[in-house]
Amino acid sequence: MVSLAEERPPPARRTMRVARWRSRRGPFSHLGVRARVTFLFGAGALLLSVSVGGISYLTTQHFLVSDSENAAVQQAGSEAGAISVGLADHDADPEAVVLASADPGTSAVLFQHGKKYSTFFVRAGYIPSSLQVLVRSGSAARENVVIEGTTHVVVGVPLTSANAEFFALFDESQLEHTLHILALAIVTAGFVTTVLGIFLGRSASTRSLRPLTGVSRAAVAIAGGQLDTRLPAATGDADLGAFANSFNTMVDQLQERIEREERFTSDVSHELRSPLTTIAASFDVLEAHQEELSARARQALGLLGADVRRFQRMVGDLLEISRSDTGSADVSLEDVEAGELVRRAVAASAHRLPNAVAPPDVVVDPAVAEARLSVDKRRFERVMTNLLENAALYGGGATLVSACPGPARVDGAPTLQVSVEDHGPGVSESERSRIFERFYRGQLSGRRGDGTGTGLGLALVAEHIRLNGGVVRAEETDGGGARFVIVLPMVELDAP
Amino acid sequence: MSSRILVVEDDERIRSSMRMALEDEGYDVDEAASGEDALDRFSAQPADVALIDLMLPGMDGFECCRALRRQSAVPIIIVTARTDTHDVVAGLEAGADDYVTKPFVAKELGARIRALLRRARPAEDEPTVLTFGDLELIPEQGVLRRVDGEGDIHCTRTEFRLLCELAANANKVLSREQLLDRVWGYDYFGDGRLVDVHIRRLRTKVEPDPALPRHILTVRGMGYKLVP
Repeated sequence: MVSLAEERPPPARRTMRVARWRSRRGPFSHLGVRARVTFLFGAGALLLSVSVGGISYLTTQHFLVSDSENAAVQQAGSEAGAISVGLADHDADPEAVVLASADPGTSAVLFQHGKKYSTFFVRAGYIPSSLQVLVRSGSAARENVVIEGTTHVVVGVPLTSANAEFFALFDESQLEHTLHILALAIVTAGFVTTVLGIFLGRSASTRSLRPLTGVSRAAVAIAGGQLDTRLPAATGDADLGAFANSFNTMVDQLQERIEREERFTSDVSHELRSPLTTIAASFDVLEAHQEELSARARQALGLLGADVRRFQRMVGDLLEISRSDTGSADVSLEDVEAGELVRRAVAASAHRLPNAVAPPDVVVDPAVAEARLSVDKRRFERVMTNLLENAALYGGGATLVSACPGPARVDGAPTLQVSVEDHGPGVSESERSRIFERFYRGQLSGRRGDGTGTGLGLALVAEHIRLNGGVVRAEETDGGGARFVIVLPMVELDAP
Repeated sequence: MSSRILVVEDDERIRSSMRMALEDEGYDVDEAASGEDALDRFSAQPADVALIDLMLPGMDGFECCRALRRQSAVPIIIVTARTDTHDVVAGLEAGADDYVTKPFVAKELGARIRALLRRARPAEDEPTVLTFGDLELIPEQGVLRRVDGEGDIHCTRTEFRLLCELAANANKVLSREQLLDRVWGYDYFGDGRLVDVHIRRLRTKVEPDPALPRHILTVRGMGYKLVP
């Protein structure tokens, strides 16, 4: 027992596994696969471009800055050397020396004996005091300063022999501009990469999901009754091929099962027909000879009769239903006049109703009396019979059958509206769609008597009307009775 | 003398119950359990109407129908458990005049048989000779022949009756319902396929080119008419 239990996990565990799998789903699980893949591609591209762009920017910046600083230091050094040589001549004017030695493009300043000599107008304040102190103490130094919004490198060189300090200012705005452009280029590239990543993700997910669109379409078709729908065998793609195969196998089995069940209903009805033929014919003989029977036997015969007829109708209805289920229902449309069709159908149906039920009034709007419609007459007659029978069973008999122009269809085609009304208790709102289900008996199910229907009557009404391209619904009349409304497509009056 | 009905049905209980029901309707009944049996019995003693079940062991109902039709114009009603278009139309193509579906009510079957027997006798007010194309139709004698005397054209009583209706109303459109009523005794909701198949069968007999009929024309959405 124990080993068995171990081999076969109880169903509860299976459920748990499913639950765990569900809980493992990510925070984006509410998004579709496509959105998720797109998002991941976009985020990946962004991350990639930020890191690559950041690294290259920093590297380039480091290289350019140190390069430019080295150049500045070198130039300042050589200028300082020249000035130092110039100042060795004690008569020389320090300002002239500075002007002569410094590069024309450089802003330079010389401090000697507390005096300032500069190439251009360079304020003493431009040179940071910390740097001045550092240089005065005898060591060369540099510092970045921002002068009037532009970055400069200030290089300070002590001229110990002349007891002076030389400072050179180098404009770094060019370098900064270059770095700006670089940063802009990198950001642009990052943006483009991210957008491309999003597009790539979207198209990749769309491409990989495309077979699923086919699956979805196939599933819809199958659900709609086209059981012969299959996925094309995806040759060359192992993943899709296996998927299509298992899908098709599933549909094969589904189709086989549905067809087996439909065949079963149809076979049962057919098999019932032979014994039923004997029963019905024998009953006819008995009925023809009923005066030879005792009163008691006649009573039994009466009971038998009602149910033989009902059984006959039920088998007929079952066959009819199974035929439309298997899709082998044949609809033979004929051009007929609306008024004549409705009157004839009511008259033909009246024969089948119990004698106690008065035939309904028939009112045909002159606007449609001679209008033509293409309809399966037999099916329409069955619809009328079933509706009148339904009214006789549950609504005390139909009081009015009317025909009038119906609301035009979406495509503008005119319609014929046929209504069957009774003065019964009506159909409650909750039951109005359910009464068209097979064997649905509703609230009045207790009232099964001599004349109870087959339980398929209204289901067949819906089926016949559907096969005729129309719709049927149940409503309430002003007096609280039931009204069944049929809307059938009509042939255009000006059609040839 | 009462009419004789040949019941061809392999199920013994159905056969017996049909015999009793038909006897109650006032007919003499002859039974056959198979198609071969039916042909033998018919040769020995022709019936006025044959009722043939389509599902028979050995020779099936369609074949039996064709074989019987080859030797006689006897009215044939096929009995089918299926109302599928295919079975009914195939039975009519095989030469049947009408059909009933199982299970049927004896009264209904009796009515169908009476209608077939009744229309075998032409109405009195019809003209003695009707002509169209190179054909001559004599309703009273049940004769359809070529004017040039090349001989009689054989057709069943139903086909003949249908042709008489069309010829008596030459150039007038008769709807399927009218033809069903006058020839078969059906009401408005009778099966129009009966008319369609019989018209098709008639065309192969009287039209020079059945694919392009010149005399028996279809009027779309209305019915049929005969043009002499």
